[in-house]
Amino acid sequence: MAEFDAELDARGLNCPLPILRAKKAINALNAGQILKIIATDPGAVKDFEAFCKQTGNDLLSSEETGGEFVFSIKKG
Amino acid sequence: MTKRLKATERRATILAVAKILFADKGYHGVSVDQIASRLGVSPAILYQHFVSKEALFEAVLTDIAGKRESYVEAVVQEPVDFASVLVRMARIYVNSVARDPDYLIMEMHSVLEGSTVAKQFFENRWKSFSDYIEFNLAELGKDGKVNAVNPKAASLMFQGMLREALYAKCIYKSEQYRDFDLENLVHHLIVLFLNAIGYREKPDRQRKLA
Repeated sequence: MAEFDAELDARGLNCPLPILRAKKAINALNAGQILKIIATDPGAVKDFEAFCKQTGNDLLSSEETGGEFVFSIKKG
Repeated sequence: MTKRLKATERRATILAVAKILFADKGYHGVSVDQIASRLGVSPAILYQHFVSKEALFEAVLTDIAGKRESYVEAVVQEPVDFASVLVRMARIYVNSVARDPDYLIMEMHSVLEGSTVAKQFFENRWKSFSDYIEFNLAELGKDGKVNAVNPKAASLMFQGMLREALYAKCIYKSEQYRDFDLENLVHHLIVLFLNAIGYREKPDRQRKLA
């Protein structure tokens, strides 16, 4: 996991809440800064891919460890 | 069903046929023999893919649950105030269920069956709404943008309204609501819900203009 500028804990929440909270957290960042998100909803994997594609942000990594999904998004 | 079907295709066909029969008659109303008969295969073929009727029923529920709606569109669009996102989520969900009402019937059966997987299926499908409403009402309540309501009770109220509208329009096809199309009915219910919780947050766009 690369270094990050902000972190969002979305464990236990079903989409779209993690996406919505990520969107608001990214809005508070400057371009090029990185948000790390931890989620447990398996649907988050596809949803964050679609979210980044549609919003012009860069999904740097998407990893699963022990039932948790960790995403790293760079603000575009 | 021909013997040339690949295992994955055969499995998908079994799930599709089983879903129709389970939705029609419930778990206890359908036998493995009936499912096999509808597929035109022997029960032994079914048992090659699913060790039991229960395993087949669980696979049907998992298959439907796996096709859960994506609400990314509801969140990407603006404005993202509580009510605007909720309206877009409800529209996505209602359109999805209206396209495949068997899901609703399976949901009703899943409540009655009482198995763990059925319970998980039922809860998981609605969790997007309960998480969204409960989290946001707790936040809005702190800012005085809704009345002092219990977020869990409000969430249950919303789910009940939406579910009942879907039952009335997609399953019962009730004459009583024939003047409403489904989207219009849901819109009215959401307005009632927002009034009931005393929602007074301005949409983001309006707030920027204010």
